[in-house]
Amino acid sequence: MIKTPPYLKKGDTIGLVCPAGFMPVERVSECIRVMNEDWGFTTKVGTTVGRQYHYFSGTDEERTEDFQNMLDDDNVKAILCARGGYGISRIIDKIDFTRFKENAKWIIGFSDVTVLHSHIYRNYNISTLHATMANAFNEDGFKNEYVQSLRHALEGKKIKYQVKQHEFNRKGEGIGELVGGNLALLAHLVGTDSDLKTKGRILFIEDVGEYLYNIDRMMYQLKRSGKLDKLAGLIVGGFTDMKDTERPFGQTVHEIIRDAVAEYDYPVCFDFPVSHEKENYALKIGVGYKLKVGKNKVTLEE
Amino acid sequence: MKRKSFIQSSVAALTASYLPALPKFENGEDETLFVSPPALKTGDLIGITSPAGYIITQEIQSAVMKMESWGYKIKIGDTIDKRDFTFGGTDEERAKDLQQMLDDPKIKAIMCARGGYGAVRIVDKLNWEKFKAKPKWIIGFSDVTVFHSHLNRNFGIASIHSKMCNSFPDDWSTAEPVQIETIESIQLALSGVKMKYSAIPNSQNKPGIADGVLVGGNLKTLESLAGTRSDINTSGKILFVEDTGEYMYSVDRMFWNLKRTGKLSQLKGLIVGGFKIKVDEDSDDFGRTLQDVVLEKIKAYHYPVCFDFPVGHQKNNYALKCGVKHRLNITPDAVTLKEI
Repeated sequence: MIKTPPYLKKGDTIGLVCPAGFMPVERVSECIRVMNEDWGFTTKVGTTVGRQYHYFSGTDEERTEDFQNMLDDDNVKAILCARGGYGISRIIDKIDFTRFKENAKWIIGFSDVTVLHSHIYRNYNISTLHATMANAFNEDGFKNEYVQSLRHALEGKKIKYQVKQHEFNRKGEGIGELVGGNLALLAHLVGTDSDLKTKGRILFIEDVGEYLYNIDRMMYQLKRSGKLDKLAGLIVGGFTDMKDTERPFGQTVHEIIRDAVAEYDYPVCFDFPVSHEKENYALKIGVGYKLKVGKNKVTLEE
Repeated sequence: MKRKSFIQSSVAALTASYLPALPKFENGEDETLFVSPPALKTGDLIGITSPAGYIITQEIQSAVMKMESWGYKIKIGDTIDKRDFTFGGTDEERAKDLQQMLDDPKIKAIMCARGGYGAVRIVDKLNWEKFKAKPKWIIGFSDVTVFHSHLNRNFGIASIHSKMCNSFPDDWSTAEPVQIETIESIQLALSGVKMKYSAIPNSQNKPGIADGVLVGGNLKTLESLAGTRSDINTSGKILFVEDTGEYMYSVDRMFWNLKRTGKLSQLKGLIVGGFKIKVDEDSDDFGRTLQDVVLEKIKAYHYPVCFDFPVGHQKNNYALKCGVKHRLNITPDAVTLKEI
C-alpha cells in the first residue's frame, strides 16, 4: 500500500535544496518569498542553494549532505528541489532513506528529480510530488494555476484536472497509481535499482530538447523492457523544443508515441499540461488516479 | 507515410513475437561456449544491407570494390537506395533485407552499409533460427551495436565491430595510412587471422592483464538496450565502449547507468575508446574529464583499464571481434589487445 506523507499545515517548514545543477540564489528568492508570505509556510534554505561547484550546486558530498539533512530533519515537512539539470544520478545511492521511510515527507520537483520519484516509489512505496520548481515562481509565475496547483497539492486538496481533447487521444477510462516523469531519465533508469514500476499504473511522460530519433529509441526501450504493455493509461505531456536530424525522421513526436502504443488498448491522452514549460500541473506520484479520456475532454482525478 | 501504415498493420506480428521476460542466456553466460562464424575464403559472398540509415549505391561503391579486391563476391541488398525519411527503407523492408541475408546459406558475412538509427526497430522482427544453426559474421558499429549486444545476450555468437561501407574512402590515394589500415583490418578479421592491436598509453590507465571475451560498442546504444532482451551481458568479459556527440554530463550519466545496472562490477577489463564530447556553455564546465568520469565509477574494482583505444567514430577504428576471447595487457609503456 502506498504511503502518503502528511499534508502541510500553516507554518509548516519546506526545505529548499539544489541536488543537481547550480542555481543562483536570486532565482530562488521569489519562491521563498511566496511560500513564506503568500502560502503561509516557513522555509529552510539548504546550503546548496546558491552554491556552485562547476556545473553543479556543490560537490557530490555537499549535495548529498544537504539533501540528507533535510530528509532527517523532523521539522521539515517537504523538500522542494529548487532546480533540476543533471546530478541526482550521481548521489542517489549515497542517500540514506532509513529515517525518511519512518517519517515520510513530500519530495518535490521534476526533470532530473524523476530519479528521486522513481527510486522512492520503487523502493519505499512513498508518494512524491512531480511539480514546478523555484524558477516557475519568477516573473509573476507564482500566480498561474500550475504553480498554484503545487500549493493545493501540498495542502491536501484533491486534485482534478481537466484538459482539452487531442486528435490522437485514445478514448477510455483507466484507474491506477500514477507514475512517470522525464522520459530520458526514465529510460536511463531502466535496469537499475531505481527502475520505474509501471504494471497496472497510469504512466505520464514528458521531455524537452531531444532529437526525434532519440524519443523513438527511448519509446522502444520502454516497450522492449516491458513497461508499456500493461499500463492502465498513458498521459503524454509536453514534448517541447524537439530537434530533428539533417535527414528528417519523418514523424512528429506525437506520431512516434502514438505508434509505440498502437497495439495496446488502454486510454492515451496527448498534450497534458506536464512539461518543461509553464504548463506543468502538480501530480502526486504513487497516488491512485482515474484517467478519463472522452470525446471532448480529458479528466484526471484522485 | 509508409512506415506508419506498416506499423499499424504489423501489430499482430509484434504482439506474437513479444516476450515479456528476458530470455535465459543460451550461451552468453559461459565464455567457452561463444561460437565464431567460419572465416571467409576467397570467392565467399558478403551481403551488404542497411538496417538503419539511408544510403545510396554511390556511397558503397568504394567498399564494394575494396571487398572485391580482397577476393570476395558481393551481394547488394534491396535496402541500398531505398529510403523512408531517415531510414534505409521501411522497417518491413529493412527487416526483410537483413532476414534474407541471415537465411541465405551462400552469404558468409553481412556488412551493414552504415549506422544512423534504426536497428532496434527491426531486431525483434528478425527470425534468428537459421543464423543460429549456421552463424555468419555481422559487421558494423554505432547503431549496429544493437546486433552485437543482441547476439551476445541471446546466442553467444561472435560478430565484428568495425567501420562500415560509408567509411571507405572514395579516393585511396589521399586516404591517411591509419584509414587504410583500419579498413584492411576488416579483411584480416574476416579471414580468420588472430587479431592484435596496440594503443598509445594514457597516464591514467590502470595497468594489469586480463583474459576474457571481448564485448561492447556504442555506449548510448548500450544504455538504450538496458532492461531489454538485447541487454549486454558483461560478466567476466572485457568491455569496450565509445561514443560521439554527447555532452559530458550525458557521458557521465551513461557510465552511471552501466554501474547501476551492474555492468561494471564483474568485468575482467575495461577499454575506453574514442569519445567526442559535445561542448556548450552549460556543459563545458562539468569539472571532470572523461578519465575522471570513468575512474570514479570503478574505484572499487581492480581490473585493468585503458583510455584512447583505437575504436570509435574516428579514423583509427580497428575491426574488433565481439564474442571472441582476448588478452588485454596494460603496462605503463604499452597497451596491447590480442586475440587468444
